[in-house]
This record gives sequence, C-alpha cells and structure tokens, in this order.
Amino acid sequence: MASIPLDDTVSERTTWASSVRVWVASMRAWIFFFALVIGFEVWARMEYHTTFLLNPFNASSIAVFAVGPLLLALGQTFVVISGGIDLSVGFTMGFAAVVFSKILNATTGAVWDPLAFLLAAAVALLASAIPGLINGLLIAKLRIPPFIGTLGMYGVARGTAYLLAGGTTVPISNPLVSFIGNGSLFSVPITVLVTVVITGAMMFLLSQSRFGQHVYAIGGSRQASLRAGINVARNTVALYVLSALTAGIGGILYTARFTAGAAQAGEPLLLDSIAAVVIGGASLFGGSGTITGTVIGALIIAIIQYGLVFVNVEPFWQFVAVGIVIIISVLVDQTQKQLSGGRSDE
Amino acid sequence: MKSWHIKAGLFASLLSAFAGWSDYAYAAGKKYTIALIPGLTTDAFYITMHKGAQVAADALGVDLVFQGAPEFNPVQQVPVLNAIIGRKPDAILIAPTDKEQLVSPLKKAVDSGIPVITVDTFIGNGRYQTGTGEADFPLSYIASDNIQGGVIAAKALAKAIGEKGKVYVSNVKPNISTTDQREQGFKDEMKKYPNITVLETQFNDDDANKAAAQFQSVYARNPDLAGVFGANLFSATGAANGAKQANAQGKVKVVAFDAPQSIVSDIKAGNIDIAIAQHPAEIGFYGVVTAYAHLIGQSVPPLIGTGFTVIDKSNVDDPNVKRFIYSD
Repeated sequence: MASIPLDDTVSERTTWASSVRVWVASMRAWIFFFALVIGFEVWARMEYHTTFLLNPFNASSIAVFAVGPLLLALGQTFVVISGGIDLSVGFTMGFAAVVFSKILNATTGAVWDPLAFLLAAAVALLASAIPGLINGLLIAKLRIPPFIGTLGMYGVARGTAYLLAGGTTVPISNPLVSFIGNGSLFSVPITVLVTVVITGAMMFLLSQSRFGQHVYAIGGSRQASLRAGINVARNTVALYVLSALTAGIGGILYTARFTAGAAQAGEPLLLDSIAAVVIGGASLFGGSGTITGTVIGALIIAIIQYGLVFVNVEPFWQFVAVGIVIIISVLVDQTQKQLSGGRSDE
Repeated sequence: MKSWHIKAGLFASLLSAFAGWSDYAYAAGKKYTIALIPGLTTDAFYITMHKGAQVAADALGVDLVFQGAPEFNPVQQVPVLNAIIGRKPDAILIAPTDKEQLVSPLKKAVDSGIPVITVDTFIGNGRYQTGTGEADFPLSYIASDNIQGGVIAAKALAKAIGEKGKVYVSNVKPNISTTDQREQGFKDEMKKYPNITVLETQFNDDDANKAAAQFQSVYARNPDLAGVFGANLFSATGAANGAKQANAQGKVKVVAFDAPQSIVSDIKAGNIDIAIAQHPAEIGFYGVVTAYAHLIGQSVPPLIGTGFTVIDKSNVDDPNVKRFIYSD
C-alpha cells in the first residue's frame, strides 16, 4: 500500500473500500447484538416465563455495567485505529480514582461540595493525562512499540496508584459525588448520561474532525501519512492522552459509584475494553474501527455476562461465551480483509 | 473458645521463656531476623498483619523483614520467597498463595535450615507436624478459621432477614483456600434454616463492577431476594452497589467479609449491613511470637486460630470494635 502513488483514483477506491469495510464490520457487531438480545429473550420466556428485553431494570443495569469498560474502550478505539494498543488504561483509571478520592477528601468540608467535586475531577483528569502524555512521547518520539511502552506505563501507573492509596481503598464521603455515582435523572442513571455525552463527543471527534481523519490515516499507513504532511508525532501523543483521559473519567465515575477510590479499579476492565473495541469492528492492525462499533461491543460483553446470570447458567460459561464472540469477530475481520485486499489488487 | 486456650497456653510458655532465655539470646549477641511474606503487599489485611507482627518484633527485639509480591499468585510470590531464602533469615512467616504450588519452594527453605510458619493461608491441608503427607513440614498455621467465619456470616445474615428468604454468595473465584472455606461455612450453616434458600454462587473475578451487575441480574429474576454474603471486599461492595442501583438498599441485607477503612463509611451509609472482621494484627503478632518461641527452643502448637468481630451500625463507633478495622 505504501508504495502506491496517491493519485485520485486509488485514494477514491481506498475510501470506498474502507467505508464498505467499516460498514461490514459494524454490521457484524449489530448482528451479534440482536442475536444475543433475542436469544436471551426467548430463553427467559421459555425457561422462566419472564421477559429479558422489556424489563427496564435489566436495560438500566446493563447500561451501568457497561459504563466502566466502555469509557476505557472509547480512548482505546482511537489508539487501536492508529495501529497501537494501550495496556496502561486500567491502572490509569485506578490512578485517577485514587487521586480523585484524595483531593475530594482534602477539599470536602473546606469548600462548597460542587466546587470540591470540580476541583478533584480537574486534578484527577490532569493527573491521568500524565501517563498518557508519557506513553505518547515514548511511542511517537522514541519509537518504542506501543505494546512495550504502555506495558511499562501499566506498571508505573499501578505502583503510583497503590503508593498514593497506601495499598488500600480510599473511602470518600461527599453527598453530591455519591449522587452522581448512584442517582438518576429522568430515570436514567447519571453515570450512563455522562457516558452518553462523552461517547457523542468521541464520535464527533473521530468521524468529523481533522484529528479523527489523521488517526485513520496514521493507522492505514504511517509512511503515507508522513508524506501527506500529517504531524504523526503530535497526533500520536494526542491520542494516547485522549485514551488516558477517558480512563480518568472512568476512574472518577467508579469512585463516585462505589464511594471509594481503588487502585485496582480498572484492572479487570482492561481486557474487556480491548475485546469491546475488537468485537466492535476495529482491526488490531490499525486503520479501521468506529465508536458506534465499540459501544455495541461493550454492550455485547455486558449483555452476555448479565444475561447468563439472569438465565442462571453456570458462571464459567461467561468467559467461554465472550471468548467465542472475540474469536468470531476477528475471523470475520480477517475474512473481509482478504476480500477487500483481493479487490484492491485487481 | 478453643483457640483462646491455645493462645493463653502459648503466652504462659512465652512468659517463662522471656524470663529464662531472652537474656541468653542477647548475651550470645544473637538478634533474630524473621521474614514475613504476605499473599500480596497491596492489601489492607496484610498491611495490618505486618503492623501486628512489628509490635511483636519490637517487643521481642527481633528484626522483621516484610517483602511480598503485588499480586496474589504463586508465580510472583515464589521469586520473592527465593530471594528471602537467599538472605538466610532465622524463620519465615508466609501466607502461601497456593495450596500445592508453594509446597516444594517452601521445602527448600526448610532444607536450608529455615523454619517455616504459614499465616492466613496454608499448604497441603493445613494440618502440620503430623508425620504424614508431603506438606506437613511447616511448624504452625496461624489464621482465622474461615469456615467459622462463614458460619458467623450466615448466622448474622439469617438473623437480619428474619430467618427466611433467598440469599446467595458473591465470591471471587474458586480454589482460593480462604474464600472457599467462607462459602462452605456459610452454606453449611444456612442448611439449618429451612426457610432460607441459597441460590447459585456468583464469581466476579474481584471486579466490583461485575459483582454489582450480577446482583442486579439475580435480583431481576428474584425480586424476593433477601440477602447477600460478599466473601471478600470487592464481592461485598459490588453487591452493595448493585442493591443501591436497584433501590433495594436495606431491603436486601448485605454481609461483607473483611473490614478495611472503607467499610466504616459503607456501614454508616447503609450500603453494607454487617461486616465480619478478621483479626490480621493478631495473626501477625502470634506469627512472630510463635517463630520466636521455636527459635529459643520452645515447642509450638501446630494450629493457632484467631478471632472474628461482627460489626454493624450499632457498634461501629465502639472503640473496642473499631480497633479491628484494618489500618492503612
């Protein structure tokens, strides 16, 4: 690809092919999604004479369940599209959670509650941007492979979070914050509303902004992007910072929900977040993926895990089921890549 | 009660030991070094155990070394253990992270002349110095009786829900000696209540988010759910949050095993109804004391059981109860 001159016909054909690819990829996630929902509905009706789909409690529980993994997956989508991977997001989330708790505890009582919240959230986001910035610089400037650079940051963020927290969870007590974590507006949980707004912003950023176009271009071909005059280094730094920021928001919402910041808050979510991105149609080789796909991917994982408990299946089947969905997703991805690859070789 | 007698006996023997032997140890210029290897370093339970061990070490004039891995698994714990064996301490206290996989690494310590005592968790079946089996070589096992802890949790929950209704265990994952025993004790005790049904256990991989969703899913299909036993911290706080999200707080009683700082605010806010606190400081203290007793030539009991404290809203501020909250 890199050796093909960028004349009009080729670039047109590439965009057309990639839009087909993106379309197929996102459809695959939708197919899984509907198959699952309908499957659980039928199962619930036949076995327990109850509804799965039409119970608003289930929908809201699944949405809240998906918030954590989705927030990690949103930033991860940008990173994966650029051809990278960010293994540090889980502990960046924990780091932000601990920083948020510490600042909140220091300010609650001293200042007005909403101000304490804003202050703590701002400091936590700034703090979470630091590991992202270092990741970006390592990868963009020093050309360290993302897998290694972010694996190193995984350790650093984790250690720092545990040191800050003194190895334990940090309880908070601020009524406003626990309302944000557990309250509802118009019977939609606030954490879900916040996540919807952030998802919308990410969708805009990826599909409508110049930055988003550059992320796809870098993932498609770094060489071509450089030749096209894209500042690859700056965009790379920006997208790792973005990834750390969505993780930071995840950490703040976690703390608000469980009224305690824990260094290990994001640890179990890392693999789910990568799985969500892949199931959602992004290719780990870079260049393709959408936010909509990632949202569906995160919901699929949440529905599998929630639904299997609902229909009372042996717990270990959850791992098997999520694993199978990932494998099928990657298989579909590779098959359609071969198809589209064959087309451009004509 | 039984454990109390063992402790009292141990103390008596120690007092006489102090009188006769400590002078001798100092006179010989021998200062003992005892290593404590926790299951993981990033956990309030083990941090508190370390503090209890330090109190005993200071009182006895022993050097205490505290080193461990950041995660609860043998792959990370064994290298730490080997490094400690390399330093040749006079005794090793360890919370083994696997019943089988730590047997031969610990055998190496004993072979090089370092006595081993296990704290909190055990190897083999936890019965030592019997002359049978591959894993009976540690001198002593010092821990809370986790089966008993599960029984206490079941009794407290049964009382809280009026001895009727559906309950389930929110647990981490299978095959961890301690959490398995808590679940077993809980389920066995619940069999004594004919009007209580124990639903299938939910495993959450130590993820509070997952534990919360599991609560909501179980509750969605069992609106008459009466209680949950969270077998460790995240299992309990997760289930408690699920109850909160489902507006079932207070209606579904949540019992938590373990009592870190955050449990106080959770109990006060009504997120968690009852917490069963172990006494990790006691485990650490008696670990060092037992090792010391052996080093100065005393015989030691192969099993020492430490106690529990049940914490709820009514006693959470009582100083006699508060001292069992794990410290940072």
